Amino acid sequence: MTTKQKDTIDRFLKGGMSRREMIERLGRMGIGAAAGAYILNQGMTEALAQEFNWKAHEGKTINLLLNKHPYADAMIANLENFKSLTGMNVTYDVFPEDVYFDKVAAALSSRSSQYDAFMTGAYQVWQYGPAGWVEDLNEYIQDSDQTAPNYAWDDMLEGIRKSTAWSGVPGAELGGEDSKQWALPWGFELNSISYNRRIFDQLKVEPAKDLPELVELAKKITDSDAGVYGIGVRGSRSWATIHPGYLSAFANYGAKDLTVQDGMLKAAMNSPEAKEMTALWVKMIQESGPKNWATYTWYQVGTDLGAGASAMIYDADILGYFMNGGDNKEAGNLAYSAFTPKPGAEAPTPNVWIWSLAMSTFGGQKDATWYFMQWASGTDHALFGARKMDFVNPVRQSVWKDEEFRSRIAKSYPGYIEQFEASSPGSKIYFTPQPLFQTVTTDWAAALQKMVANEIPVDEGLDELAGNIDRQLKAAGLG
Amino acid sequence: MDRSNPVTKILRGLALLAIGLFFLFPLFWVALMSFQTNEQILRIPPSIVFEPTLSNYWALISGRLVSTAGVLEIKFMGNLWNSVFLSTTSVALALILGVPAAYAFARFRFRLSEDIAFTLLSFRFAPPLLVLLPLSLYFQDIGLTDTYVGLIWVYQLIALPLILWIVRGYFEDISPDIEHAYRIDGHSWWKTFTKIALPLARPGIAAAALLSFIFCWNNFIFALILASAGKQPVTVGALAFVTASGIQYGQIAAAVILSILPTLLLALYAQRYLVEGLSLGAVKG
Repeated sequence: MTTKQKDTIDRFLKGGMSRREMIERLGRMGIGAAAGAYILNQGMTEALAQEFNWKAHEGKTINLLLNKHPYADAMIANLENFKSLTGMNVTYDVFPEDVYFDKVAAALSSRSSQYDAFMTGAYQVWQYGPAGWVEDLNEYIQDSDQTAPNYAWDDMLEGIRKSTAWSGVPGAELGGEDSKQWALPWGFELNSISYNRRIFDQLKVEPAKDLPELVELAKKITDSDAGVYGIGVRGSRSWATIHPGYLSAFANYGAKDLTVQDGMLKAAMNSPEAKEMTALWVKMIQESGPKNWATYTWYQVGTDLGAGASAMIYDADILGYFMNGGDNKEAGNLAYSAFTPKPGAEAPTPNVWIWSLAMSTFGGQKDATWYFMQWASGTDHALFGARKMDFVNPVRQSVWKDEEFRSRIAKSYPGYIEQFEASSPGSKIYFTPQPLFQTVTTDWAAALQKMVANEIPVDEGLDELAGNIDRQLKAAGLG
Repeated sequence: MDRSNPVTKILRGLALLAIGLFFLFPLFWVALMSFQTNEQILRIPPSIVFEPTLSNYWALISGRLVSTAGVLEIKFMGNLWNSVFLSTTSVALALILGVPAAYAFARFRFRLSEDIAFTLLSFRFAPPLLVLLPLSLYFQDIGLTDTYVGLIWVYQLIALPLILWIVRGYFEDISPDIEHAYRIDGHSWWKTFTKIALPLARPGIAAAALLSFIFCWNNFIFALILASAGKQPVTVGALAFVTASGIQYGQIAAAVILSILPTLLLALYAQRYLVEGLSLGAVKG
């Protein structure tokens, strides 16, 4: 960075000029928008360094385990700034998502010291935390010697922050009393409707307002001559089938997966609300879902929307975001809608998936690792990723208020911000945290498959599932 | 049935065509996909008429993949090299260890010989993950985690039992009288082994080596658990095209074609040995 460029950046950071003015000045110096963003981030990095001793672990190298994901790509693209800020080196292993959690589980269960920090989902830490495989990050966040004064922990969206904290007591509220912060939220997705505006315009229909209306709309589209099926949702025999649209609608109907009675867990997925919602869900898939629904995962649901094979999806908002770009046939045609499934309910209640950063208990340099984690989850990197990369959805409120980010999204993803703002207040993890999460949700997905295949009626299927889950909870000493 | 009857000939031809189509169509379709863009592949309905592109192969070879998330680095050629290196060296080591062992088990009766041979075979019974988790603890202690040496050692769990048991059966089928006659001429045991037994068993050894190579090549879990991203084989590397922001079907298809090429070429080259070796080794008496 030249002295002139540095002066311009410094003046902007001190509030001496507007962003537009800074970009114009950098432009006159021959610096384009992307390079300008990188230099600005470098300037912000230097400003950070003045307030906190970022060089405390200079010369150390930390090793990361990452999932191949746009969040990891955004971090890698900005990594040089971290290196110059701290004098530390960062190496990383990137594994595809299909095998990622096997790799994490193998590394942690074998107490491997190979990785200092890794990406994880919030559900996974319900296993890793109580097993002693990851560190409680509260002690770092609260330590002013270890954490930069502008880290702004409270800037993270409250529901998301709490969703990554848990006491380890089965059934205890996430983020409740005695919670340990097992991971730092990094980026997240909530579940709402993404739809194909072209097809909707062609058929002269509007997004549905609630689940009964969605069932009708999806059937209308499937029965039309548009040559597409109505709605894409996941259906494989996996926890991933339950957590997106299904659990979001389930929670909106006031149903719960488990209840806690005298400290013991009891299956509650056969409540009247659950049965009402599940009956609609099953009908929707039977009438208007994909033909091979029972094999559908994130990939098939997204691919069909992007290729124009489905008219809408009830899944992660960022899945609709990704499908609106790249070489997808329907890129530019997709739109977004917040969704309140229960007729008369006040607001959406989307369940969320949170990609987070966790610190391995077995790593040999925890303080240095914390320096990386606070930088990667800090405001400056979040801004860089949100403005220039696909680090979406950001977990920080300040990023959602950032004009540059908002205008980028508003321009290329119309309706996305409105969808997010309507959905976000009610978004959190709606599962009851407990160690049998994988088993419970896999059995749940298997039960849904049987109901959709008409092997068992919905009422009977949910009663049978609840009985089965209760037996497993009892066997594990949880029920 | 009269084989020269033209109707029979036509029926046979049609039956062969149907069988050929049934088995080769998936491969043919993957080959076509490898020359198409994602948009062409995902057309509804699918079509075999398209403008071919080499961009998928170029992305793999150049290591740069253009996707919705921007330009991503792809280390597929590194994965391919890892597969070649790991499979070749593992099979070579297994041959060096396994062929003399197979000969010993076939020709000599010694204490616990059957127990040892069965123990080696039992490596094939255990679910890999059951073996791998404790093994990864030991590997950490002795510094073999994330090393090629460690991986080649673990790959012996695949290659060694196969080679040992196939080649042993083969040695047992060769009459020992020829070897005895050679020994009576004053030659050493080692010379008998190298000059008589090995050449006679060559088709069986080639078949066992080829099968071991294919099993090693297709292995997925060993390197995934025991090594870092830089030492992963194609079986893991090909999954890199399945990303949160979309599946790169064209690149996956190109990766499939590139990754089956080495085994396909090897199998074509060794086809004669393979058929001869497997059939001879399978017949006793």
